[in-house]
Amino acid sequence: MKEICTSVKKKDHDAKIQGRAVYVGDYERTDRGEPILVGKLLRSNIARARVSSVTVPPLPNGYCYVNADDVPGDNNVNIVLDDTPVFCRETVEYIGEPIGMVVGPNEEEVDRILGAIEVAYEPLPPVIELRTAKEFFFEYEYGHGDVVRAFAEADKVYDEEFETGYQDQTYLETQSMMAEPEGDGIYVHGSLQCAYYVHGAVMRAMGMGPDQVRIFQDVTGGGFGGKEAYPSILACQVAVAAHKAQAPVRCVFDRREDLEFTSKRHPSLCRYRAAVKDGRVTALECDVLFNAGAYSTLSAVVLQRGIISAPGVYHIENVHVRGRAAKTNTTPSGAYRGFGAPQTFFAVEMLMSHIAQDRGEDSIDFKERQLVSQGDMTSTEGRYHFPVPLRAMLDEVDAACDLRRKHRAYAQPQSGRYRRGIGMSAVFHGSGFTGSAERDMIRAVAKLRKYRDGTVEVLASNGDIGQGVRTTFPKIVAHELNLPLERVFYQHPDTARVPDSGPTVASRSLMIVGELLRRAAIKLRACWVDGEEQEVEEHYREPDFMIPFYIDRFQGDAYATYAWTVNAVEVEVDTYTGISRVLGAYGSFDVGTPIDYHIVLGQMEGGFLQGLGYSSIEKMDYDNNGKIWNHSFTDYLVPTTLDVPNMVAMLHVEEYPDGPYGAKGAGELPLVGAAPAYVEAVEQALGGSGVHRLNHVPFTPEDTLLELIKEVK
Amino acid sequence: MVNGYAPTSLQEALTIRAAHAVIPYAGGTDLMVQGRKGVFLFLNKIDELRRVTVDDDYIRIGAGVTFTEAIAHPDVPALMKEAVSGIAAPAIRNAGTFGGNLGNASDKADSVLIEYVSDALIRLQSITGERLVPTDQFILSRGVNALHDDELIVEVLLPRAAFDAQYSYLKVGGRNALAISHIAFAGLYDSEGGRVSRLSAAVIADAGTVLRFRDLEQQLVGLSVDDARQQKEIFLSAFGERIVLGRGRVSGEYRKAVSLNLLRDFLDRFLG
Amino acid sequence: MEPIRFILNETDVTYDGDATARLLDVLRDTYHCKSVKCGCKEGECGACAVLLDGALVNACCVAMGAVDGRRVMTVEGYRETERFQVLSDAFAELTAVQCGFCIPGMVLAAESVLSHNPHPTEQEIRVGLSGNICRCTGYNAIVNAVKKASEEANGLW
Repeated sequence: MKEICTSVKKKDHDAKIQGRAVYVGDYERTDRGEPILVGKLLRSNIARARVSSVTVPPLPNGYCYVNADDVPGDNNVNIVLDDTPVFCRETVEYIGEPIGMVVGPNEEEVDRILGAIEVAYEPLPPVIELRTAKEFFFEYEYGHGDVVRAFAEADKVYDEEFETGYQDQTYLETQSMMAEPEGDGIYVHGSLQCAYYVHGAVMRAMGMGPDQVRIFQDVTGGGFGGKEAYPSILACQVAVAAHKAQAPVRCVFDRREDLEFTSKRHPSLCRYRAAVKDGRVTALECDVLFNAGAYSTLSAVVLQRGIISAPGVYHIENVHVRGRAAKTNTTPSGAYRGFGAPQTFFAVEMLMSHIAQDRGEDSIDFKERQLVSQGDMTSTEGRYHFPVPLRAMLDEVDAACDLRRKHRAYAQPQSGRYRRGIGMSAVFHGSGFTGSAERDMIRAVAKLRKYRDGTVEVLASNGDIGQGVRTTFPKIVAHELNLPLERVFYQHPDTARVPDSGPTVASRSLMIVGELLRRAAIKLRACWVDGEEQEVEEHYREPDFMIPFYIDRFQGDAYATYAWTVNAVEVEVDTYTGISRVLGAYGSFDVGTPIDYHIVLGQMEGGFLQGLGYSSIEKMDYDNNGKIWNHSFTDYLVPTTLDVPNMVAMLHVEEYPDGPYGAKGAGELPLVGAAPAYVEAVEQALGGSGVHRLNHVPFTPEDTLLELIKEVK
Repeated sequence: MVNGYAPTSLQEALTIRAAHAVIPYAGGTDLMVQGRKGVFLFLNKIDELRRVTVDDDYIRIGAGVTFTEAIAHPDVPALMKEAVSGIAAPAIRNAGTFGGNLGNASDKADSVLIEYVSDALIRLQSITGERLVPTDQFILSRGVNALHDDELIVEVLLPRAAFDAQYSYLKVGGRNALAISHIAFAGLYDSEGGRVSRLSAAVIADAGTVLRFRDLEQQLVGLSVDDARQQKEIFLSAFGERIVLGRGRVSGEYRKAVSLNLLRDFLDRFLG
Repeated sequence: MEPIRFILNETDVTYDGDATARLLDVLRDTYHCKSVKCGCKEGECGACAVLLDGALVNACCVAMGAVDGRRVMTVEGYRETERFQVLSDAFAELTAVQCGFCIPGMVLAAESVLSHNPHPTEQEIRVGLSGNICRCTGYNAIVNAVKKASEEANGLW
């Protein structure tokens, strides 16, 4: 591996492990020494209703109640559309929707006031179930080839439905935000991924200009997409509250609030039809339905990525895809690592496996035969411009766990209490934003500032949320400038100091902004003068090989390049309890050159385990009233150290010429392929899709046992 | 201390318990999560509650003994160690106690399952005297036990004979650590001269209390092993009919099916 | 009325507040021990894990009255030890720290494992850390770091 791959001690290691890192909940006073008021949200306890009155009891001195009437600017949070209110309008649209906020110095008193507020509702009929939803925020359609003809000429047609559930990001630090009035402006800081998203949202809600609003990212205890859009909403709420109270206000969610009322992965229903002729899938029709919840938030872009990924990693001549994001009166869904792709990849991978089994063919062979290759057309008639290493990665995974032999052996009939299965998946993750957003909307700018003493500061807006950009950005710059790493540093973004290099999302930070910084460093090297303060700036340029993407037609290169992975999961099912013990989980991951081997390995392992949780134990659901009942850590279970003790991540490097030193997007990829590999393994242990056709995640021990009971009956 | 008493002897604790409305505090792992307000009676300084002793008939585990201490103690039976090793995670096992597991009267308490299946006695004490109550008479329903307002749980008496028997045990939770038992099964078996001399089976299934049906067990005890084997299906179906389950974290159908699978496995193992 | 006295990070302290208050809140609000994080307040994540007389406990599940006469150790105290430095170096070398929120609790869980068992197997480490949720790393790096620390400790534990 290249020198840049050598692992270094992370810049924030000491502060974090010594407990000195200051998360927003850790401030005792503001930096200016002022006391901080506690803000807590008054929430709807009904899924859909007109709010006829809110009766607030007489408030003690120093306490106030804040609602939509107090919003000085626009009571709409700018995300993709503007439908999410800062505080509710005349109606509430889901259980937990913020109606107002109570602010004051003492938390217990704030709680008491919240409990004493009376809200009168006129209930309206809610839409709770995704299947019965009639209103769609977004509807897309695209395709190529002649699907009708391919189905007419098929040897056999397959038709299946797949369902996936919520997944909560479960960052260890809950959503937390603080606002401080500053002169005629407002300073908002906290746990967030996208400082400039928050900046735009707060400007609008406060009716302030760009220089009046300052956003700073505090040390952030995990994000995984959950702190992409949601912090914009909470930031507006605390900003309005601080403005009304004319004092600093902080809101730190408790875990129940966070689990129940903040955005999570979209539940999905995918209907797939496949035409098979001469042993190949000749046509695919995908109908993708996502549960957006009560407001549209990021559903447009989540759905776009989901449907672009819908045909998977296979070369299919005729494709038709429809995608819809339905409105229901439930917690708005949002961004989560994988961003719509885990849902559709689950569907296509399971379908391919089921078709193969129906044909009496090993599904690994069936899939391998139809994998895309470099130069092939993508689902949106773009091109895979760079090598597609899936076949080599499949061999690597096979070598690591004897995949092919086990896959055939476990397909034989098994008896006895314990039965084994192994599943395989192959997936990609398009690196960076979908389509031309990077060029047309984000237009990233990054800067380097050299100080007189020869130290260099990175100025960018990408937040370290654990993924290590405070270390990898300086690493790139130090490498190009041939400086010791100690002389290059990167603080958490502060919009008063840094340009907008775009949000910390879409596996883009390292690939896009890292490359800008590399180029900036080269520029600085060329003009370097000792003892002078100097600044250089770089702007995003779209790679020239791109086939222009048209979002209205879903046509062109949706992504410049792709990260790839092959996963295998081996399980042993206890047929008495339904419990599937994971004997091993293996992944080969191609995210290009790792800009720090251990950092990237940590991303792969962490993402893979989240994916395995999504597959098996992370069950979250709501009742008939739309109330999420898995709202505590007792009832929403994420993996512990003991759940997948044997997890092996391997890196396969295909360098991307337009990423720094060949790096591609990394963060999201490892989550995407886990679910189909896991469920295929369980299905194989149960006797294969001829006996038990599994088509949903999470697939829990209860699901397994109920399948076995069905078999007996 | 404000809102708390921290007596150093049992007698002192019982006096406070009789005189004041206090909430006994053992390990805190449930009490603090419930967020109950009141005056706490801290029991952690009372040495009498923190011992494991053995006499001719019983292994006596003090109410204040933590699960971690029990796992390390040479006199605690293997079955009990296995069950409490599956509780949550080290930080909970370091704090949680046998008394606390009984005091909250949860129907999913892993140590209580073993107390049910082994016919353990719970010793309760007040300033006026003491009572020995069988486990299944101590736990009345989910969250309700037979403890009087002036009493404290003092120790658990595990009958030694029960732990000389062979056993089956399995816990089924939502994941491999930090998991509440969806189902847990414990069974004890012994035979003498070709006859079943002991057979008891208890199940956690989110059923309000631990399930154990002595009358069904008695139909097998005393039979020859061969005869008992013949009765196996009748026993299983009778047991199944008694399992009536409401809503829970996992479905009643699942809990019942797993309970019966584990019961069948237990019977198959020992009766053939 | 006697106040609660205990030893916090090797210093005698006196607490005259509510005996039913959570140790977690008191450590953070009264004693400024911000390394102790609140992840769930129900004993299900380990972010607030501290050592109480050397045993790992979740500070959210401990009332102040139960601390009277005992020793409490948080990372604010533990970071001054040689053992901490060995763990910190091993965590750094394997890049076991991502977002950092679980890490103070995780480090104290590691100390608890090693102080009871200086040469643990991987499985013993995993059991010892099983109450500490980390959502970032997938645990491999953390488990390997604890193993590495145990191998390089030179009799520290």
